[in-house]
Amino acid sequence: MECIMQGIIETQHVEGLAVLLQGLCGSQRQAVKIHDLCLKSGPNLGQVPSEMHLMCDLSHQEPRWIVRHVGGAMRGAGAEQMPALVRSVLNCRISNNALRFFHSLGYKLDHELLQTGFKFQFHKVVPITVSVTSVCKIPKLHMIEEAVPITPGLQLVEVSASTSGDNYTEVAAAVSGLAEQLAPLLHLSKPGVLTGVVPTASAAASSLTSRATKVP
Amino acid sequence: MKSIESLNVTRGARWEAKAAQYRPMLRDQNLPADFARDLQSIFFSENPSKFFFILRTEHMVVEADSNVQDIMERLQTYRNRLTFVFEGYQYQLGDFNLKAGRAVLNGESIRGIVLEVEYLPVSSIEKSRTLLQEFVELWQDVISKHSLNGKISHLEPPFGSYLLSDTYSWQHTAVQYTNMMTHFLSQRS
Repeated sequence: MECIMQGIIETQHVEGLAVLLQGLCGSQRQAVKIHDLCLKSGPNLGQVPSEMHLMCDLSHQEPRWIVRHVGGAMRGAGAEQMPALVRSVLNCRISNNALRFFHSLGYKLDHELLQTGFKFQFHKVVPITVSVTSVCKIPKLHMIEEAVPITPGLQLVEVSASTSGDNYTEVAAAVSGLAEQLAPLLHLSKPGVLTGVVPTASAAASSLTSRATKVP
Repeated sequence: MKSIESLNVTRGARWEAKAAQYRPMLRDQNLPADFARDLQSIFFSENPSKFFFILRTEHMVVEADSNVQDIMERLQTYRNRLTFVFEGYQYQLGDFNLKAGRAVLNGESIRGIVLEVEYLPVSSIEKSRTLLQEFVELWQDVISKHSLNGKISHLEPPFGSYLLSDTYSWQHTAVQYTNMMTHFLSQRS
């Protein structure tokens, strides 16, 4: 399972966010370059339609493949009151013939995206990942070099942490606590909830980047 | 097992490999189904963090973390049709690692005895081929001298068609055991 919050930030303020995250995290950022292939079961396969994601991590010398299944979100009054979404997620490393394998099993490519940017790994109460990425569509099949941003000028920020069934309250609190620290720059909420950009982002980003420039 | 233990070998731990064959779950049996019908999998107790899939028609072996089973269960697109369990004991004889055990179909029917020989110093399949063949021939002599029934039949694994390298790996073992499962299934019970 995972707890996750999302928000958007204007590209011009990303460096300010990076400065803030660097200060909060204390470690260096890591590059993110992921080719995300969404596969859906073909007609007549399975009792109900299903989908999964093949994620190819291109940020290393050798591409690393992961198969990811995102299940349903936690429901109920308790879940609705939580600031973070808690949902079932399974990630699994797989060999680089995974796409051909799932295609042979009857899965079809529904869409593919390229996410590029950076992430910070926090080690607070629980390990938390904050990623800032430009999400791009790929107009020609698998041609990631020709990817174009879906929303030019805007980037996706995700704050996420893994959780087991018995500590999700604590993890959700840690995720939302970190999200609150980013409030001057962006508003984070559950995926699917529209947030928009925050009016203080410009001033906050300028302040952060000028401070970062002055620090010897 | 008697023939091995007569060689003054060191008996080691138990081993187990679980192989399965799947069939696709179709919403309507009358509609065309343009996807694989020969999906197999194998899991080794000695390598519990990994899980292997084989598509025989495509000559494809896929290696994944063992929690891929959870993902396949959630996808609900392929159902387990039958399971083969290979289980027995390991033995050490100098530079050779031997495994001997039985192949059991669906927990009920013993379909045969399996023997695996590994030459530890060399991981090249071609370089160790002759040595392994000679070892198996010696083993067959031991079986005959003890007036035991049975003949060792070598199952040549189709590594070449799977485009696997000359360096032996768990993917090679996955192909060998699923090949054995296919062989046992093709035999009359």
